[in-house]
Amino acid sequence: MTRSIIAAAACAALLAVFAAGPVAAQDKPSLTVGAIYVGSVNDYGYNRSMKDGLEEMKRNIPGLKLIEAENVPESAESERVMEGMIQQGAKLIFATSFGHQQFAFNLAKAHPDVYFEHAGGWMQAPNFGNFFGATQAAWYPMGVAAGKMTKSNTLGFVVGVPIGYAIGNVNAFEMGARSVNPAAQTRVVVTGGWSDKAKEAAAANALIDQGADIVTMHVDSPATIIQAAASRNAYAIGFQSIEAAQLAPKFWITGLGFTWGPFMTETAKSVMAGTFKPAMVRQGLGQGMMAVAPFGAAVPPDIRTLVTASADRVGQGFNPFTGPVTDNTGVVRIPAGQAWGGEQMGNFDWYVEGVIGKAK
Amino acid sequence: MNPALIAGIVAGAVMSGTSLLYATLGEIVGERAGIVNLGLEGIMLIGAASGFAATALVGSPYLGVAVAAGAGAAANLVFAYVVVSRRANQLAAGLSLMFFGIGLSALIGRPFVGALISGLPRLAVPGLEPGGIGARLLSYDSLVYLALPTALLTWWLIFRTRWGLGLRTVGESPAAAFAAGLRPELVQYQALTFAGLLGGIAGAHMSVALTLTWAEGMTAGRGFIAIALVIFAKWNPLWAIAGALLFGGAEGLQLQLQAAGADVSPFIMNMTPYLLTLAVLMLWGWRRQSAAPAALGRTFVGVE
Repeated sequence: MTRSIIAAAACAALLAVFAAGPVAAQDKPSLTVGAIYVGSVNDYGYNRSMKDGLEEMKRNIPGLKLIEAENVPESAESERVMEGMIQQGAKLIFATSFGHQQFAFNLAKAHPDVYFEHAGGWMQAPNFGNFFGATQAAWYPMGVAAGKMTKSNTLGFVVGVPIGYAIGNVNAFEMGARSVNPAAQTRVVVTGGWSDKAKEAAAANALIDQGADIVTMHVDSPATIIQAAASRNAYAIGFQSIEAAQLAPKFWITGLGFTWGPFMTETAKSVMAGTFKPAMVRQGLGQGMMAVAPFGAAVPPDIRTLVTASADRVGQGFNPFTGPVTDNTGVVRIPAGQAWGGEQMGNFDWYVEGVIGKAK
Repeated sequence: MNPALIAGIVAGAVMSGTSLLYATLGEIVGERAGIVNLGLEGIMLIGAASGFAATALVGSPYLGVAVAAGAGAAANLVFAYVVVSRRANQLAAGLSLMFFGIGLSALIGRPFVGALISGLPRLAVPGLEPGGIGARLLSYDSLVYLALPTALLTWWLIFRTRWGLGLRTVGESPAAAFAAGLRPELVQYQALTFAGLLGGIAGAHMSVALTLTWAEGMTAGRGFIAIALVIFAKWNPLWAIAGALLFGGAEGLQLQLQAAGADVSPFIMNMTPYLLTLAVLMLWGWRRQSAAPAALGRTFVGVE
């Protein structure tokens, strides 16, 4: 008897909750946008940069409704999460991690009236485009900052997984450093995963043991490495989000971050106007998707000027991968008169002269 | 090999070996009472998340470690109720505990992702040149310095006290322990509480001292390495010290060698800890039978 009373009370409570839902709903949004993240948006890294871009889009477009989901794995689970967003009225979906591509693409075929933008991939359909930052050349000014700031002439670079794009980042970094400091060397440690905190801390320590006084990284979140470096009085250059300075303000030099806001705003406007065009968008410094983070207090004005000038030069089309480029075993990989760009950035399986490390 | 490399390898082994040692010591005590806890990974994660959360909220890493120990013990008491009082299968209950721990730690840690904490301070031996090799080798947080005494204390508890005798008796033969006037269930509850305390501390060392970050699943399988270490240590806390240093060192070694510019592929480097694990288990394998508590993993259903 008591049980049935409790059950009835529970049902009544549930009904009340559901009944309250529509009453709370606001006016119809101008556009509903869904976004899935592979991690937490508070990672000071990649996911944060995506969150910042989407928030900028939301501020730019009145009445826009944003539905978000964090920690969405790169599996069929992501397809279910995005399907749920479509059920809630999403007409544009940002699938922000590389491994979400196939699942977003499946949904794009099933829902031709919903538009998709995927970060980092290559697939295309009338309602499916993709975008990413052109990171490699943008690392060159980071190298300029490091080459000028180092006292030991040893720079440390923690790489999660040594894919071609990551190796290209290391290469541009070292070339930038050597352009202002011919004695600068970059030591590389590969952890084997994009997010293994304990290994990242150990890798930063190992680099500092080998004389690095500046550490930088290509992993999902820079938080652990920046803090590990600061604990041993080593400086850091960040990557992914331009907000990482607050992790260790005293030991912050600068950083390279993604600025997705303008692109996301334009995309949302094109969906509202019915003019969406799928494209493979890749933008670097000076083109909208990449920016140099604010400088730390430790960086003197002349170095700031130099780094900013270098970033401007990259923005105006300077390509560090213009031959002759020699690898760290002395072999000329890009002959004089040639240059690597675009898709070739994924082809690096060698480090440039001055990098201490093996790529394969 | 340069001195900085050797100092780095040793310091790295100590730092990453510490959490392994705490976890292994706890598991040894639990297994000495006849209970295999495959949920250790989950206990460590609960410790890492709750310790980080408490540190972020209150600002004291010491309180964070205490909360982590309490949370680890509480979670292990749930496990104890299931396997001791309800007499459930230990392997199944342990795996469930692991998944429970993964989920619960994600829930606890979620609001604290990205929180900035000041972790356990490093206490350097005074008089050493800052940035020098001596300072690198002798500046650790307090949990590192306490790890060795904890191992010795655990050894003393198991092999030199009346309680330890009872514990080992329960692990060898609960029926005999019962006949001798002991209450096997009570001893097992006590052992699992102790194991939970240490498992929670092991997790807290990773989040509050080693990385100063909370990330889902951040223990990355170290709970299972600790379970393997129990076999390696032959259920003896003193051997666990060597095992934790060896396994902690294996991970640090390959990162140090990469930084030093060793002419080996990073892909092979990343395999070395697992190759070492296999080699060690092969070398040890033949001796483990005699050392395992006889009633390990069995359910004691009482004596008529």
